[in-house]
This record gives sequence, structure tokens and C-alpha cells, in this order.
Amino acid sequence: MMRLVMPDRALEGLTIIEVGTRGAASYGAKMLADLGADVIKVEPPTGDPDRALGPFPGGEAHPEKSGTFLYLNTNKLGVTLDIAGDKGREVLGKLVAKADALIHDYPPAEAEAAGLTYDAIRAANPDIVMTSVTPFGQTGPQKDFKANDLTMQGAGGWLWINGWPGNPDLPPLKAFGRQPSYQGGLNGALATMGALYGRSRGGPGQHIDISIQECIAAIIEFVLPTWSYMETPVVRYGQRPIHPIDMFQCKDGAWIFVLCIEEPQWERLVELMDTPEWATWEVAADRFVRASNWDALRPFMEEWVSQWNADDLYRAAQAKRIPFAPVSTLGNLLDSDHLKARGFFVEVAHPEAGTLTHAGAPYKLSETPWEIRLPAPTLGQHNAEVFGGRLGLSDAEIESLAVEGVA
Amino acid sequence: MAGPLDGIRVADFTWVWAGPTNTMQLAHMGAEVIRMETSKRICTLRMFPPWPDGKPGPNRSGYFNQYNQGKRAILLDLTKDEGAAIARRIVEISDVAVENFSAGVIDRLGFGYDELRKVNDDIIMMSMSGYGATGPDKDYISYGPAQVPMSGLSALTGYKGWRPMHVGMSYGDPTAGLHAAFAVIAALFYRDRTGKGQYIDMSQWESSMVVIGEAFMHQVMNGAAPERDGSHDPHMAPHNVYRCAGEDRWIAIGCGSDEEFGALCGVIGKAELASDARFATIAERKANEDALDAEIEAWTSEQDPFEAMETLQAAGVAAYPPLVNQEVMESPHLAARDFWVEHEHPEVGVRKHAGIPWHFSETPLSVKRAAPVMGQDNEYVFGELLGMGSDEIAGLVEREVIK
Repeated sequence: MMRLVMPDRALEGLTIIEVGTRGAASYGAKMLADLGADVIKVEPPTGDPDRALGPFPGGEAHPEKSGTFLYLNTNKLGVTLDIAGDKGREVLGKLVAKADALIHDYPPAEAEAAGLTYDAIRAANPDIVMTSVTPFGQTGPQKDFKANDLTMQGAGGWLWINGWPGNPDLPPLKAFGRQPSYQGGLNGALATMGALYGRSRGGPGQHIDISIQECIAAIIEFVLPTWSYMETPVVRYGQRPIHPIDMFQCKDGAWIFVLCIEEPQWERLVELMDTPEWATWEVAADRFVRASNWDALRPFMEEWVSQWNADDLYRAAQAKRIPFAPVSTLGNLLDSDHLKARGFFVEVAHPEAGTLTHAGAPYKLSETPWEIRLPAPTLGQHNAEVFGGRLGLSDAEIESLAVEGVA
Repeated sequence: MAGPLDGIRVADFTWVWAGPTNTMQLAHMGAEVIRMETSKRICTLRMFPPWPDGKPGPNRSGYFNQYNQGKRAILLDLTKDEGAAIARRIVEISDVAVENFSAGVIDRLGFGYDELRKVNDDIIMMSMSGYGATGPDKDYISYGPAQVPMSGLSALTGYKGWRPMHVGMSYGDPTAGLHAAFAVIAALFYRDRTGKGQYIDMSQWESSMVVIGEAFMHQVMNGAAPERDGSHDPHMAPHNVYRCAGEDRWIAIGCGSDEEFGALCGVIGKAELASDARFATIAERKANEDALDAEIEAWTSEQDPFEAMETLQAAGVAAYPPLVNQEVMESPHLAARDFWVEHEHPEVGVRKHAGIPWHFSETPLSVKRAAPVMGQDNEYVFGELLGMGSDEIAGLVEREVIK
């Protein structure tokens, strides 16, 4: 499947089948597609459920205008296929036979029912890399537990650490959006890429079992070692090993993130504050001591910050190489001169949704740039191209798939 | 085959958390990762708790040891000419170089892409600074915790009607690190086919924004961001974190359909709620969410969170308690999946660390060794890889090049 001519894109020549219904596989496959892989997204004839999620322009639901779907499915070809039935499964097998990898996010019982088992996929293509991104993985006593992005933050140990510190009346707080699904997709893309690279060097095709719970547990900072090294439970965000790490409201109502990691940064901040007496007290002597006494020190810092406008303070701190940061609104980000100069946001024209601005490249590769070549597919947009052009089905066969409700 | 990156070597200039998270993924896949460190400026993460018995030490940090598993480490003062020359020799025999200083710092140290390419013309160099290598604010400095507010995630996260919140961890770091590892392997794949290396400019800020893509769509389509709404969800109700019996005990519950809601009502002994007009559809449940939450919490607040989880899961309802660190580490499910890594470490003994979240069927991956103590692999790298004799190495130590 490799082309012999010099490819322009990093992953050109790789064909990936995505069967995604929960965001995770969609994001993982998007990462591969945005670096040039040829991704065929297989949707049920009713469409990926993300088509119903929105956000929609003016709040009016429309399956071709869901922001979530439009964002997560750039650069993909889209086909519809009912893989619950034999006929659809047969067509999926033909797609798999010509592919390098398949990535899906059906939980084990649903995957079994839909024929998305490694045995079935391998039978169609023994060299395939098959990646299953599921909440709890393929094995273990909780593998069939129901899950969503909220419960997965709980199961991975993330939910516990987010919320208002020191207030027992406030529950742990979910981080916005679908972070566990994104992390699952991100790990899915990474592991798939690794296995495909290994295969290109003589390694085998294989099945990759990814547990979103493990993806979360693997990234929650110092939370787990705090147990295995000190047998100490962690509390919600306020307890940081060092300080200042805090968020305050400024004079203009905007918020600022106050941060010093290294001691010289704190020393420069003390200068910027004009060396107030409290900053010279023993309880502020170093980053660890400041952390132990932060409740007492915090009001002083808050008072000082409140005399500034947020952007002025941010720039003044950075001018002294103190790593303060804005608490950005999405509007601020879309207007950011820095992000504009880097071309982070990209315009994507879609035949039904119009031209919309998307969050763009997470990385800039000098030889093989991340790029948008195609907007998200409309439902079944590429059925004829893929089933006909690639699989060699006749027009009559394609027509009958549609008539029978298979595609 | 030990792993897909078997035989790939990484010259690792990274420090703190984002860069090391990247190179740990590469180590997980079988790459030989060589951390270049100096005791003149010890990696920030080595100085952070947790430490066994609360006693600090650069080799005792559980935070460092979690994210540097499977790597090698040497001591080398890059600011000395001899040290820089040795680092270039390491780059020469490497496939990948990774750094996460602020933009420009690596160039000033003499290890910018143009310099590295002189010694290794198909090197893949990954820079992962906070703001990226270009743009008017490229010289600003940043760390992972700042990426949460900078990316917009804080503005989107919070209790209803409250201030913006953090998300509880320096989420920008691992998100950048994982994206970076993916890009590095994609670049290796391209290099193997074309003979061309490349430079990858990664901004931690930008890689933190790609995981809230749908929120930007909301802003772009409708001129406003989604409002902070606690742990509620625009498409599911009920969907919240509910109080359980006991101090600071909770359970997260979310129903994605009428069927699941009906099952929940049955479990909590209020079957009548499923046919209550206020709660009949998702739209109605969203409109009356506070009343619904109160009905559910009246039940959960009498329950043990784990018993409630089992009962709800048996009825087909997504429910899980927010696990505290001990509970994650003692999870019977994660134990059954063999997720944990326990290697002997010379200073902290055997400690449990989170392992690899990808289980490969044919070439199973494993963490080869515990995180390195400082200078642990001096002999291997200077002697075995670079072919220096013991006198030469001793001289470098004497002249404080190896330091």
C-alpha cells in the first residue's frame, strides 16, 4: 500500500478505517487524517451520534451542522454502513482487507454484537492493526461498566482532584467537555501510529486494547505517587506542593493566573510588587513554605493583583520572565495576535455548514505540515467513491445497499 | 521485537513535565531515551514531592519517577565546550532530539535545529515550548498549569454562576506530551520512507486548545462560549456528582437515554419519577434539573458510593465514584489488567507507578526499568555508546564536564 513516489504528507499511503460513535475514535482518526492518512469513517446509516450533539448555528439542530462532528471529522471520507447485519459486515470486511489499521470505540459487548472483534477483523486482514478504545478496556471485572466522560473522570482519579479546595459542601467538579474521550483518542492515535511504525519495520499486525481509565490514571500529575510514596490522600486543587499557583480577578473584571515555579521567578515577582513586607516574612521564604502558608498569604496577593488590569499585569510579569498567564475567554483566543501570527485557527469550508473557524494544528512539522484538505463528510458522501472506486462494487450493488438500508 | 521503536534512540534535552511525558511514551514503545541532565541545574521535577518519609532528594521524587520510567540518564554540563561537543556526539547517534525550553533557549545553548542537522542530517527535532517557536509572544515563558487557563479550559470549567476554575492538574503538560510523541513517530515513519528528518514546532498552548474544539465551534457559530454549568451536560440529564453517605464521599451518575433514566428511577425506589411530566424527556429533565438532582441526592446521600455504583451498574446506569488516589491504586479492575509497574529503585525501593495504557496483543510493551537516578547511565553512554576509556571519563569528571 506504500506509494513509491516521494510522499508530501507524513502519513500518506496509510489507510485507516474508523468506526467511531463516542468522540474517542473520531479524534484519534482525525489526528491520523490531519497528517495525511487516508481515513474512511464508517457511520451507521442513521449517522454518528455526534451529528446530534451540536453546537448548531442558532441552536437549530441539523445533522450536517453539528460543531462537534464538523471539528472531529476533518480530512475523512465518510461512508454509511449498517455493520449489525451480515451484508454490512461483508462490506466492512472488504474495507478492512485494504486497510492498514482500524480504530473504533465500541465497548466490548457492543463491539461483539457489531462484529468488531479482533478475530473477525483479523480474518479479513491478518496484518491489520486494530485499536479498541473503550472506557475500561477489554478485560477485567468492570469491562462492561457503563460510562461517560463524567464517570470516566471519576474512575481515572481526576474528578476527585478538581473543585473548590477546602469546601466540603461542594462536590468534585468535572473538567469541561469530553476530556476522557479526547485522551482515549489521543492515546489511540499514538498507539496505532506506534504499531504501524513497528509493522513498517517488520513487526506484526496486532490488537491494541486501550482503557480510557488507564489513560487518565497515567496523567494525573503527582496524585498517584502521593499515595505510593507517602500514603497520603490528595485533596482538591488548592493543595499544591508549591505556591503561588492561583487565579485572581483583576480590576477590569478579567482573571489572571499567577504562577511562579522557580525561586528566581518569585524573586522577580517580589520586585514587581515593590517588595511588600509580607513577601519578606518567613512564611513566604520559599516555594514549599509559601505553599504551607498559602491561606494566610493569599489575601495579600489578591489585594495586589486587584489593582491591575489583567492584560497589563500579564505583560508586566512576562517582561520580567515571570510565567503569569491570562485566563482566556474563547473570544480572546480567536482574537489573539500571537495565535493569528502562527496561523493556529483555520477556516474550513463545508458544503452545508458554510465556512467555520476551527482550532487547528497541535504541531507544525517543517516537511509535512498538518493541513486541512477536506471538511467533515456529509452523511454517506463518499459511498459511491469508496464502495465503487475502491471496492469495485457495481452501481447496482451500491444501489441495493442503499435500498436495503445497509448503507 | 521488543517494541515498535526498538533501536530508535532519543537525545532527551527535556525537563519538568511536558517534555518528559513525550519521551516516556517513546520509551514505552521501546526507544532508548537518554536524559541529559546536570547537577548544576537539577530538573525541577526532581525537586518536587512526593518523597518517601517526606525526605527530599533529587532521586526520591515520585512525581519525577512516574514520568521518567524506562529512560537512561547522564550528567553533562552543556554550557562547557567539551560537554556541548559530547552532546552533539549523542545527537549524531540518535534518531530524535526533544526539548521543551522556552523558544530560543535551545538555540542559545547551541543545539538549535540547524546545528543538530550539521551533525545528523536526518534528525527529527521536536521543540515543545509553551508559546511555540514563532509569533510575537514566543519569548514568553510558560508551564503546564498555565496552559489550563490560557487555553480557555478554565473559562469553560466551573460551578454554575461561579468564577473560572482550574481542572485539578497541569493538564497542558500531558496533553502536549502525548501529541508530541504521536508527531515524532509520524515523522519517523516519514523519515524511513524518504530519508528526510524534520523540525517540529509544537506549542503547548495550541496543543491544549485542540481538546476543546467543539467549544470553539460554539463560540464561532453563536458568538458565545458554553456557560459554566458544574458537572451538568447539555445533552444528558441527570448528569452530576451526588453526595453519598460518609465524609466527602460522592458518586458521578449520568443517564444518556430515557431507558437509563427509567432504570435509575427503579434503583432509587422512585419509579414514578420516570413518568413524572417534569422528567419525561431529556428536554424536560434539563429544564427541571435542580429538582431532579435533589430527588437523586436524597437517595445517594444514604448510600455507600461503591455499593451504589454496583447497584446502578447492574441496572445499566453509568455511575462511578470519584476515586481518591489510594482507591485508584487499589482498584481490583486495574490490578486485574496488570496496569501497575513496580521496579526496584536504588533510593526509593519498590514503589507502584502507573503503567502503559495500551495493551499490544502480539508485541506486549513493558516498562524496562525504574526512572533513572542522576548520572546512572554515565558509564553506559560515555563508555559503551561513545567508546570513551575510563581515563577519558575520569578526566571529564575531573574537569566538571560530567557533572
